[in-house]
Amino acid sequence: MNDLDQINAQRRRVLLGMGAAGVALAGSTLSCPAMAASPAQVTEAPNSDKTQDRHDFHGQHQTGIVTPRPACGMLVSFDVLATDREDLERLFRTLNQRIAFLMTGGPVAQVDPKFPPMDSGILGPVVTPDNLTITVSVGESLFDERFGLASAKPKRLIRMVGFPNDALQPELCHGDLSLQFCANTADTNIHALRDIVKNLPDLLLVRWKQEGSVPPQAPAKPGTPAQSARNFLGFRDGSANPDSNDKKAMEQIVWVQPGSDEPAWAANGSYQAVRIIRNLVERWDRTPLQEQESILGRVKSTGAPIGGSHESQVPDYAKDPHGKLTKMDAHIRLANPRTAATQANLILRRPFNYSNGVSKNGQLEMGLLFICYQADLHNGFITVQTRLNGEPLEEYLKPIGGGYFFTLPGVIGDKDFIGRSLLDATQPKTTA
Amino acid sequence: MKKSPLALLVALGLLHAPLSAFAATAPLDLVGPISDYKIYVTEQLDGFASHTQQFTDAVKKGDLATAQKLYAPTRVYYESIEPIAELFSDLDASIDSRVNDHEKGVKAEDFTGFHRIEYSLFSEKTTEGLGDLADGLNNNVKDLQTRVAGLTFPPEKVVGGAATLLEEVAATKISGEEDRYSHTDLYDFQGNIDGAKKIVDLFRPQLEKQDKAFVAKVDKNFASVNTILAKYKTAGGGFETYDKVKENDRKALVGPVNTLAEDLSTLRGKLGLN
Repeated sequence: MNDLDQINAQRRRVLLGMGAAGVALAGSTLSCPAMAASPAQVTEAPNSDKTQDRHDFHGQHQTGIVTPRPACGMLVSFDVLATDREDLERLFRTLNQRIAFLMTGGPVAQVDPKFPPMDSGILGPVVTPDNLTITVSVGESLFDERFGLASAKPKRLIRMVGFPNDALQPELCHGDLSLQFCANTADTNIHALRDIVKNLPDLLLVRWKQEGSVPPQAPAKPGTPAQSARNFLGFRDGSANPDSNDKKAMEQIVWVQPGSDEPAWAANGSYQAVRIIRNLVERWDRTPLQEQESILGRVKSTGAPIGGSHESQVPDYAKDPHGKLTKMDAHIRLANPRTAATQANLILRRPFNYSNGVSKNGQLEMGLLFICYQADLHNGFITVQTRLNGEPLEEYLKPIGGGYFFTLPGVIGDKDFIGRSLLDATQPKTTA
Repeated sequence: MKKSPLALLVALGLLHAPLSAFAATAPLDLVGPISDYKIYVTEQLDGFASHTQQFTDAVKKGDLATAQKLYAPTRVYYESIEPIAELFSDLDASIDSRVNDHEKGVKAEDFTGFHRIEYSLFSEKTTEGLGDLADGLNNNVKDLQTRVAGLTFPPEKVVGGAATLLEEVAATKISGEEDRYSHTDLYDFQGNIDGAKKIVDLFRPQLEKQDKAFVAKVDKNFASVNTILAKYKTAGGGFETYDKVKENDRKALVGPVNTLAEDLSTLRGKLGLN
C-alpha cells in the first residue's frame, strides 16, 4: 500500500463513521511499518482497497455472469421448501431484498441485545459489498407439479444426465435453485450465504455447496494482453473464453434473446451448467510435462497453443489437419475445434479451483468448480462435453457433482423482483 | 397448583439464590411458569428413572428382546428435558454421548450410556458384557434426579431451553444420526418437540400478551411437525424406524423445524430475560 492508498483508506474509514478510534487507528498506520516504530499485530486484518467495490443489482441481466470474475466463488444448490405459489413468491421477494442489500452494503439493523442479532457480524456492523454478486438460477425440478410452472419451463432445461466418465454423487447433484456467489473474499460470500439461510429458514434447504477461488495476479503490463488464471492442473484456464465486453457476442453466446424459441419470460436469462470436477492431482503431477501439454493442447508455462508463444494466439487447426502439432484429441481441440460450425457451441466459462480435504487414501480432494453460461444448453455445454467424452484428460478427471439450472432474467428497478417474469408467465395476475 | 408463588419457590428449591437476585432476572409473572416447569421436569425424571431401571434390568438379565423394546421409550423422557439435563455436562456425556463424540469410537473407555448400550443391543445384537454399563447408566440417572431436585432453575435456561431442543432436532434428528444403530430417532424427535412445546405452553400468556401473531406462527409450525410425526406412529404407541421416513416428509420437516429454531431463539428476548 502506498501513502495515497493509506490516506484513501483513512478517508474511507472516516466516511464509514468509525469515529475517533477508527481515525486514530488509521492515523497510526500512516507511518511506515519498516520504521519499526509503529506497533504491528500479526492478527491485523489484511488490507484491501476493494471492499467498497459494488455492482448494481438491477439491470436487464443478472450480474455475476459477464461480470469479471473476482478471486472467490461459491455455488450453493438448494431444495425449495415452499409448498405453494404464494410461498414461492415470498421466497423470490425475500431473496430479492436480501441480495439487493448484500450487494449494496450498509449498516446492519441493530436489535435489543436480548435478541439474536439480525446479522452474523462477519463483516462488522457495516456490511461492505466487496465486489459481491449473487446470481439466482432455477433447476428443472422447480417446474414439477408443486407450483404450476410446468408450462413455462425453458425448452432446454433438463435434469443433468451423467456423462460416461462421471461418478456423480447424488448428494452433490441437482437442486431446485442455485445461488452463485462471487466476491473479493471468501468471507464476503459466506456472510451472504448465512444471511440468506437465516432469512429463509422455512423456504430454502441447502442441498450442496462448493466454494472455490482463483489466484489473483499482478496486472498485465501496459500493451500486453491479460492472462487467464491457472487451474489446479497448473494450466491457464479460460484462454479461449469469448470476450465478455463484446455485447453482441454475449447476446449470441450467453443471453436468451427475445423472440427465440424459448418462453418469452426467459429472455435475457441464460443456462447455467455447474460441474464439480475432481482432479486426480497426484497422478497429474507424476505425468511428464510434454504429455500434460499434449493432453491439454497448450504450453504449460505460457498458456500458448502448442507451437505458439502467447496465450491469446488462436490455434490454426486447418494447418494441422492430422494433429501433428495439436493432437486431434487434445482437450482444447475437442472443446473448441474453431470451425464455423462449432461457433454455435461457444460457452462463457466462469470456473473456480476448489480444495476440500483428503480422500480415505490420503489423496487430495481438489479440482475445478466448473460453471458456464450459454443461451442454449444443448448447443453449448452438452455438445462441448459430448465432444470431450473419451478425451485422454479423462484419466485425470472425475466429475462428481453439479447440475443444470436456468439463470433468471435480471431485475429491472425497485418495482420488479427476481423471478417475477416466471411467476407472471404462469399466473398473469401476479404483479410486482 | 394454587399455592402462593413464594411458597412454591421454597418448596421447589428455587430459592437457593437470594430473592432479590432472582427477582432481578425473573419478573414475578415468570415465577409461576418456571415452577410449573420444574414440576414437569421432575415428573419426566421420575418416569425416566423408573424406565431406566426396567431397561437396565432387562440388559442385565440378558433379555435382548425386552432391552431392545425398552430402549427408545426410555430415552424419550431424557430428550424432552435435555435443556435442564445438559446443565450437568458430566452426566450428559456419560448418559447420552454419541459414538462420534469419541475419537476412539465404540472402543473409547468413556463411551458409556444409552448409545453405547444401543450399539451392543442393535448392532452386535447382544447383551453380553453390558453389566457395568447398565449399572453405570442407572446410577447416573439417579444422580441426575438428585442434582435436578436441588437445582435452582435459571429462568434464561428454562426459556432458552425451547430453542435448545429445536437446535437438537435441526442438528441431529433430521439426518437420523442420533440413534444410528436402532434407528429409533423419531422417539427422540418427538421428545425434543414435546419438551419445547411444553415451554412455549407454560409461557403462553406472557408471550401472547406481547405478540399474538408470533405465538400463532409457532403453534402452526409445531402442528406441522406433529402432523408428519403422527404419520409414523405405530399401533403400540411407538414409532416406525427412521429409515421408513419418506424423503418428502423428511424435507417437509426441515422448514418448520428451522423456522421454530429461528423463532424460539427470540423467546428470551421477548420475555426480557438477560
